[in-house]
Formats: sequence, structure tokens, C-alpha cells
Amino acid sequence: MLLTSVVIIIREVLEAALLISILLSMCRQLGVSQAWFKWGVLAGLLGSVGYGQQMGNISSAMGGVGQELSDAGIQLLIYLCLLYSCQQLVFHLNRRQSLNSILYVAMAVAIALAVIREGSEIYIYLSAFQGNQESRLGLFSGAVIGLGIGFSFCALFYYWLLSFSPRRVVFFGSMLLTLVAGGMILQGCKMLIQADYLPDGQAWDSSGFLPEDGLPGQLLYAMVGYEATPAPAQVAIYVFAIAVMLATLTLRYRAGINAASPTKPDEQ
Amino acid sequence: MSKLMSTLSHSIGAALLLLAATSVWAEKPSFNLEIREHLFTPSELRVPANTKIKLWVYNRDSTPEEFESYELNREKVILGGQKALLFIGPLPAGEYPFFGEFNPKSAQGKIIAE
Repeated sequence: MLLTSVVIIIREVLEAALLISILLSMCRQLGVSQAWFKWGVLAGLLGSVGYGQQMGNISSAMGGVGQELSDAGIQLLIYLCLLYSCQQLVFHLNRRQSLNSILYVAMAVAIALAVIREGSEIYIYLSAFQGNQESRLGLFSGAVIGLGIGFSFCALFYYWLLSFSPRRVVFFGSMLLTLVAGGMILQGCKMLIQADYLPDGQAWDSSGFLPEDGLPGQLLYAMVGYEATPAPAQVAIYVFAIAVMLATLTLRYRAGINAASPTKPDEQ
Repeated sequence: MSKLMSTLSHSIGAALLLLAATSVWAEKPSFNLEIREHLFTPSELRVPANTKIKLWVYNRDSTPEEFESYELNREKVILGGQKALLFIGPLPAGEYPFFGEFNPKSAQGKIIAE
């Protein structure tokens, strides 16, 4: 029970922790307020309980595939929020402008949804098995250890990112956010395949080289949505989502440079 | 010319028939799994290869379980006393293990496509 609960909690916590630490370190280095963070987490925790309690109704909706569709919807929304936030931050790197509240809302919503997605599963797991007297100790100590490892990882990663110059942090952060956002799309497509809204199939099999149930595979799965045997539709949409995000970030980076020195672009 | 037209209309007809036979109009075969005392029954489920199937998983326990399979790329939380629907395949012939993430030691099984 102890080990199972540690593994489940870490798997769920890592993704949200990674997202939070990247966004926070980018904001810190760019002098952008971090006040949105607490509201995102708070909304995420409340949402986790609500979403977890409604899981029965959500699952049976839409002919039995409500869980897949709502999951895919959440993941698409996270992608869009990350795309919006990241391009604003990249522009801000070269051209400090007064930031509008949409950026803060987008970052808070991304965090809240990431926490809801993972937190609701933790809520369902903990609330269902806590009634069992013998396993309760293992369950909760496992949860505490899992949460502790997740948060330590988040803090370490945050401070590690801060050790670089602002320009580097924005660059690394943007690349990582692109991977995380792409992972959301990859997993969202997996849900649509499971619900029979997209065709299944196998584009390749990398399970011999990097199995999904090994430690590196598990970590990559939790952080960037790694799949050893993705479907062709999944890969196509993933590549498209990544390309859109990279193109947007590049354009906004250039726009920021141009806006910063409209008459003397050579000085950059 | 008329020969060409008739060949064309025949092949279009054949293509439509093929489409009808393979696509949404064909009812997908349905299979059931049960979870009892954190065990899957049957623990080995035989399904036709290269066919999309509907898998209904009935959770007869009072506790939730997460149906998970790396080989099938499937994961779904099933609350206690509820049933869940997953679409699977079309699978090439082979064995596809699955497990219950909340009770990974006991809840194990595999789908055999043949």
C-alpha cells in the first residue's frame, strides 16, 4: 500500500509541479508578479474535490465517454493557456510592457486545470481507501512521501532555473512549456482515441528502447506525456501543436525585439 | 464509354460497400470484464484481431479502480459499483497486459487478440 500510494501520488504531482516551477521562475526572472499562483493552486485544490466528487456523473455522460471528453477538453484548455502565457512572457523579455490581467488569468487557469486533472484522481484514490483501517497508515504515509518528493522536485527545479540569466530562463522555460503543452495535446488525443473520436493505430513502438513502465519512461510520461506506442493521429496532432507553439513564440520574440528598438534594430 | 461508366459505377459501389462494412455502421463487438476483490475476471480476455471492440469494465467492488495498460494506451478511473466503456483496437494479433493502478499487485490481466 505504501509503495503503491507513493508511486500514484508522484505520478500525479510531477506534471503540475513542473508546470508551476517553470511558470514561476519565468515570472520571477522577468519581474512579473507571482500573485496569480496562489489563486491558481487554491482553485485547483477546490476543483479537484468537486471534479472528483462528480466523477461518477461525468463518466456516465456522453454515452459512457464523458470522462475522456472532459479530460481532453481540460488538456486542450491547458495548451491554449500555456500558448497565450508563454508568448506574452517571450515578448515581455525584450519589450517590457504593462501586462494585462489576461496573462495572470491564463497562468492561473493553466495551473488550476493541471492541479484539477491530477488532484481529482488523488482525491478519489485517498477518499476511497482511507476507510480501510489496516492500510490507512501506509496510504497516508505514502501520500505524504509522494507529495514531499513532488514539492521538493518543484522547488529544486525552480531554484535551478533561477540560477541562469533571465534570457536563458525564458528560452529554457519556453522550450519546456512547449513540451509540456504538447504533452497535454498528446494525452488529450489519447483520450479522444479511447472514446472512439479519433482512429487508433500504432505509428511506432519504442517500448524496447524506452519502456513506459520503466523509471525514465514514467518520468517522461508524467512530465511531457511520453507514449511508447503512439497512434498516427496522435503524432500528427502533436507535431502540429508543437509547430504552432514554436512558430508563435519565435514571431513574438522577434516582435518584442522590433518593438524595443523600432529605429535601430542592429543594436540587438 | 458506357463500359467505362459501368466499371466506374461498379467500383464506386464496391468501395461504398467496403466502407459500410468497415466503418461506423458496423456494430462493434462488445466484451465484458469484471473487477471483484481487486481481481479482473476473466484475467485473460480473447478478442478478434484487427477489429475495433467495445470493452465494458464492471467494477463490483465498493472501491474505485483505474484500468490501465501501457500496451493498449488506455487509462480510465472506474468508481466503485460503476461500469466504464473503453474502445479498443483494431489490435494486431498479440498479447496486451493491463492492470489496476490502485491495486497493481493483484489486479492484473491481459487481452489476447487473435
